[in-house]
Amino acid sequence: MSAWHEEYLKRYAQLKERGRSFFPYAVFKDVIVSFLLLCVLSALAYFVGAELGDLADPTDTTYNPRPEWYFMFLFQVLKLFPGRLEAVAAVVLPVLVVLFLFSLPLIDRGRERHPSRRPLLTGIALMTIIAWGFLTWKGYTSPLTNPIVEKDPLVLAGHRLYQELKCSYCHSIGGQGGLVGPELDKVVGDQTEEWLGKHFRDPQALSPGTVMPKLNLLGDEITILVAYMKSLGSGPFTEEAAKLFNENCTTCHRIGKEGGDVGPNLSAIGSVRSKSYIKSYIEDPSRANNSSSMPAYKGQLTDIQIEDVARYLASLKGNK
Amino acid sequence: MRNNRRLLGWLDERTGLKKIWETLFARKIPESKGSVAWFYTLGSACLFVFVVQVITGVLLAMNYVPSPDHAYDSVRFIDKQVFLGHFLRGLHKWGATFMVVVVLLHMLRVYFMGAYKYPREVTWMMGVVILLLVMAFSFTGYLLPWDQKAYWATAVGANIAGQTPVVGSHVAKILKGGEEMGVATLTRFYALHVLVLPILTALLVGIHLFLVVWHGISEPPEKTNRQIESN
Repeated sequence: MSAWHEEYLKRYAQLKERGRSFFPYAVFKDVIVSFLLLCVLSALAYFVGAELGDLADPTDTTYNPRPEWYFMFLFQVLKLFPGRLEAVAAVVLPVLVVLFLFSLPLIDRGRERHPSRRPLLTGIALMTIIAWGFLTWKGYTSPLTNPIVEKDPLVLAGHRLYQELKCSYCHSIGGQGGLVGPELDKVVGDQTEEWLGKHFRDPQALSPGTVMPKLNLLGDEITILVAYMKSLGSGPFTEEAAKLFNENCTTCHRIGKEGGDVGPNLSAIGSVRSKSYIKSYIEDPSRANNSSSMPAYKGQLTDIQIEDVARYLASLKGNK
Repeated sequence: MRNNRRLLGWLDERTGLKKIWETLFARKIPESKGSVAWFYTLGSACLFVFVVQVITGVLLAMNYVPSPDHAYDSVRFIDKQVFLGHFLRGLHKWGATFMVVVVLLHMLRVYFMGAYKYPREVTWMMGVVILLLVMAFSFTGYLLPWDQKAYWATAVGANIAGQTPVVGSHVAKILKGGEEMGVATLTRFYALHVLVLPILTALLVGIHLFLVVWHGISEPPEKTNRQIESN
């Protein structure tokens, strides 16, 4: 036992003897604070409530979740550590923080307790609070790092209608759904919006003899369904996608006249593979093809970059 | 009146009620001056919010179905059909936010006052574990409504866990109950959220509170270390 331990216990015993009874001295204040908390809590629950978004859709990889506000700082930190370093920010740092907190009483063992007598630890905490506030603020004000995954409201509405009409009884998207009709994510990219519009108005007009029923849709409904269909083909990609492809893939793959011939020619990959397949393949080729000599790009490129490249490739139908 | 006293006496003889009251409530604690005393309410505020979460959580569990086919609809049912259901869910959701905030404030109070020092080291360590349990509550509870935000936020969380060096992919697999998120993920999270975590938390809070009473609440720190005063 350190020298000051015994002294502390004696002094504490003295303070306790001269102290107040826990009830009602402390309980009174506790009750007031808890009551105030309950009031604020009820007000928030009543006036703001808890929102419930759309039903979870595991096939919809474009959803961009934002974290709870108190985790926003972590979201912002992740932006600062791209690619492989993401693991440092996401796992290593939090683990170190927790280990520091847990072992704090074993590190700081002196008798000084007043914050001004422990300037280092007080400083660390104040800096952490300021950094947390700053990162939270940046998280909300800085632009999304992945504007390409922001969703078009028309597409969202179309997606909902697709579910309501139970199109998936006959059609599949991303391998999910029925097999009576065509796999939509593979075929719709080839069709113009005009064709799709006419097709939804009356399937027989463009494809005589088709088993697809006439759905008697309203004009608005056709618009959103077309928007949803067009989003399936590949979705919008950025100019960066082609650049990323040139930097990472052209050693082995060819698009049009440029690129190597070690791997398959990708000029028309979009007409045979869906975006989700391409994305999964870029992330880890061994999932689909065990003998592939292509490296896995998950971790090499960020998820957003892979999404971008996959959309770019899915748009290639051999007309370049 | 006399009957009441007789009843209390009868109970005390058999349960030690008086002794328990004296140990828990009539115990003496050091007096803190002015507004500092209010900082000492944060611990009990945590306990209060925890009780709110337990009560609202139990009521929600009565109407919730932990399966991907029905989870979302059962939450909608709570919102639209159950008497005061939307309010109840609001309480639980905001209670979760308050829980994180109040627990962190409580921790900051103890940190700045150096109250984790001898002899209260283990009290603090139990507190850090409780903080982790609160985070686990927050993570597992987030998935349960099974809406887009719930699903994808959890996917991101599982991906983050999956990036842990060496053990990452196993951790992610155990969390998700397989390669993909689905039925197994939801039932797993539900079981953790309503069975495992509450039991662990109750246990640790019990130890934490026992230690608080055992050592006595720390006195507010002073700039200079006063010597023991001679009587």
